[in-house]
Amino acid sequence: MPGTLDLSIDLALAGLAVGSAAALSGVGLVVTHRVTGVLNLAQGAQATATAYLLRELVVVRNWPLAPAAAFCLLVAAPALGVLLDLAVFRPLRRRDAGQAESMVAGIGVFVLLIGVIVLVWGTTPFGDAPALVPATVLARPGGHALRLDTLVQLAVVLGLAGGVGLVERYTAFGIRLRAVVDNRRLARLAGIDADRISAAGWAFGSFTAGLVGVLLAPLLLLDPYGLPLLVMATMAVAVAARLRSLPVAVATGLGLGIAQSELTRLRPGGQLLPLAQAVQTNLFVVALLVAALLPWGHGQDGPGLATSGGRPGRRGSSAARTACAVLLLLPLGFRPEDLRHALLVPALALVLLSVVVVTGYGGQVSLGQAGYAGLGALGTALLMSGKVPGVPALSAVPALLLAVAATVPLGLLTGWPAVRRRGLALALVTFAVGTALSRLVFDQPYATTGLTVSRLGLPADDQGFYLVELVLLGAGLLLVRSLHRGPPGRALTAMRDHQAGASAAGVDVPRLKLLVFMAGAGLAALGGALTALAQQGFDATAFDPVQGLLWFATVVVAGADSAAGAVLAAALLTGLDAGTLPGVSAVVVGALATAIGRLPGGLAGLARRLADRPAPGLTPLGHRLRRRIAERSR
Amino acid sequence: MAVAVELRGVRVRYGLLEALHGVDLACPAGRVTVLLGRNGSGRTTVLRALAGDVPVSAGQVLREGRDVTALDAHRRAAAGSAYVPAERGVFGSLTVAQNLALSGDAPVDRWFPELARLLHRRADTLSGGEQQMVAVGRALAARPRLLLLDEPGRGLAPAVAARLHGALFELAAAGRTVVLAEQAPLPSLQRAAVVHVLRRGRVAFSGEPSELGPAGGAGGADRTGLSL
Repeated sequence: MPGTLDLSIDLALAGLAVGSAAALSGVGLVVTHRVTGVLNLAQGAQATATAYLLRELVVVRNWPLAPAAAFCLLVAAPALGVLLDLAVFRPLRRRDAGQAESMVAGIGVFVLLIGVIVLVWGTTPFGDAPALVPATVLARPGGHALRLDTLVQLAVVLGLAGGVGLVERYTAFGIRLRAVVDNRRLARLAGIDADRISAAGWAFGSFTAGLVGVLLAPLLLLDPYGLPLLVMATMAVAVAARLRSLPVAVATGLGLGIAQSELTRLRPGGQLLPLAQAVQTNLFVVALLVAALLPWGHGQDGPGLATSGGRPGRRGSSAARTACAVLLLLPLGFRPEDLRHALLVPALALVLLSVVVVTGYGGQVSLGQAGYAGLGALGTALLMSGKVPGVPALSAVPALLLAVAATVPLGLLTGWPAVRRRGLALALVTFAVGTALSRLVFDQPYATTGLTVSRLGLPADDQGFYLVELVLLGAGLLLVRSLHRGPPGRALTAMRDHQAGASAAGVDVPRLKLLVFMAGAGLAALGGALTALAQQGFDATAFDPVQGLLWFATVVVAGADSAAGAVLAAALLTGLDAGTLPGVSAVVVGALATAIGRLPGGLAGLARRLADRPAPGLTPLGHRLRRRIAERSR
Repeated sequence: MAVAVELRGVRVRYGLLEALHGVDLACPAGRVTVLLGRNGSGRTTVLRALAGDVPVSAGQVLREGRDVTALDAHRRAAAGSAYVPAERGVFGSLTVAQNLALSGDAPVDRWFPELARLLHRRADTLSGGEQQMVAVGRALAARPRLLLLDEPGRGLAPAVAARLHGALFELAAAGRTVVLAEQAPLPSLQRAAVVHVLRRGRVAFSGEPSELGPAGGAGGADRTGLSL
């Protein structure tokens, strides 16, 4: 069948465009991670920012393409990388912060950059992003169009990957770089300026990110949300390469690009068609899930997120609890339209509490809690709409309880992989699960049309519903408290601080991990279900994986092991968004997250340090006055 | 006797714990100085403060009279000091030859002829004792003027450890300053110029090895009458 073969070759050539960009993204992530130990979650935003800048210079300011591209890729993008290193990641390195805090800082950078893009260029998509290389057909061997841009992209990917390999292996700089990768502290002691090497790593990573953005932008509309997410999905490439191997990254990127293109030919009939289409459009997400679930060599261990050695300050924590109670009861006196916004507070608080349990208490990084919240919401919606085969349409309370009960065992989706993974490997699995749930489960036609959510069986007015929410939040807080006190609390703390030590002391670590993830899934599902009931509808975008990242960052910024901090954060986030513009809360969290290097223990840690500070002493004048008064009273 | 390196009122904190409570000690140039003390006494922290591996919360670190407290570890290393930690002193993913070349080009086969046949092996495939030789060899290859070693004999065969100690005295005789930390006074270190005994983050005794007496470091500390 020569026709079929010809089509295959043409599709493969077409797939190389996305494939080489994905490979490049993988190369950038691998190099940055190897040199700095950080998985650059902000890469998508860096790519988008560079693409916007190039468009601005070429289309708006009429620069010629070559100098504009040179400026964007060789000056602006590397400078952004160095700036990120200096301002955000170097303070984290200085105090040996763990993987989770570096990720939070990356999320912060992501959110801030997107915020700046929206501020400067707005949200209107642009269809006129300039292409770096014209799509001239060079030759037609066997009738297949061989385009200049495809060849140049391929050459750039292979050249960069090969160049990095050669530099690492054969130059003195490469040996120094490998020494820093191997043992940063020892490298500094051996006279190597490890900070300069990290800055070089960030500059290179930022350059590749910019290149990815500039290459991908002409293939799709340039808008602040689509491109970063596409780049984020290409993380699959780096994960498949285990964040180490450049050849694997290049091969996976090209392979996935070609596979995605070839899959367009697959058109199975009947019920399978939507599934096939979903897999085809989300092939990188599927690949991310598969790559993250395949066994890793060995998980990396990092310090927990709690403020180490900090005795809970009595003054600080009781103040936080009082503030929580006041903030939660305040909306009962609100006007109806304000109360409607406040309905989201207890729901969000429950989702954030799930992160506190999994990450703050259990020490397990979970970036996928939005997935569980979405499952709770979708389950409630499906059960109330009578869309679950064999189950009649239920009223709100049984639907909510059933949805939560069904989600709890699904906590094993991330709990089971967590038994054998730690740190970054676990973070990636949880992110992949959250992303796959969002793209393959929530974003499907059955979930976006024909669902009805009402408060049938619950108080219909907002005030009554808010009271129900408060009761459920109270139940959630009691569960969280029981996990933090007594024997379970000690076992969890032991597991968080030193897993091997906890095992040796008789703690059943695998069981405890499963328990933590199931409790987290239940809490998140309850929060998600309440969100759906509050809004009286299921909105898939509310449970986007980026939302999950933001929630994780929020909890870490608020103080990962502080339940009161999570509740306060939920109130403040909702209040900020309702009182100002939507998205302001994200920018605030982003800004705080980038400062996490200077804010150990988050805001709760800061509050504890302030509360633990000794009472201010008297000035010399005060001492004199005190003596005077004492003398007089005698 | 000129002072090569000196701590003045140095305090070092690890989080809420203070490991050194205002330590004053001096190490003479071109001599061997031994730091003694039990686990947790602050020996390693003194070495790390000298090398710039931990931030100092109060006090000064002086190198040949110059204040280097604010100087980064890599700048101090570039200025001629080398520090060999007690553990994980090699770059595991590099070969032995690359490990040695990273610091400098001084030949080390005189002290560790064993390394000659291991040059192309990755350092993490070596035994603990061999890794220790690479770690010390890496420091020696840099031709440092100040050599800081934390229990360099750990994991080495007694004969190799004694040879290493001999080499350290040779280096001192050639004008280099050597500071090493040990748990207990070893016979091969009797020729050291100065011994500082640390106890719970303070200097409990400073003097010549002969003043320590047969009871060793702890005895010397007890004789000073300090009990904390």
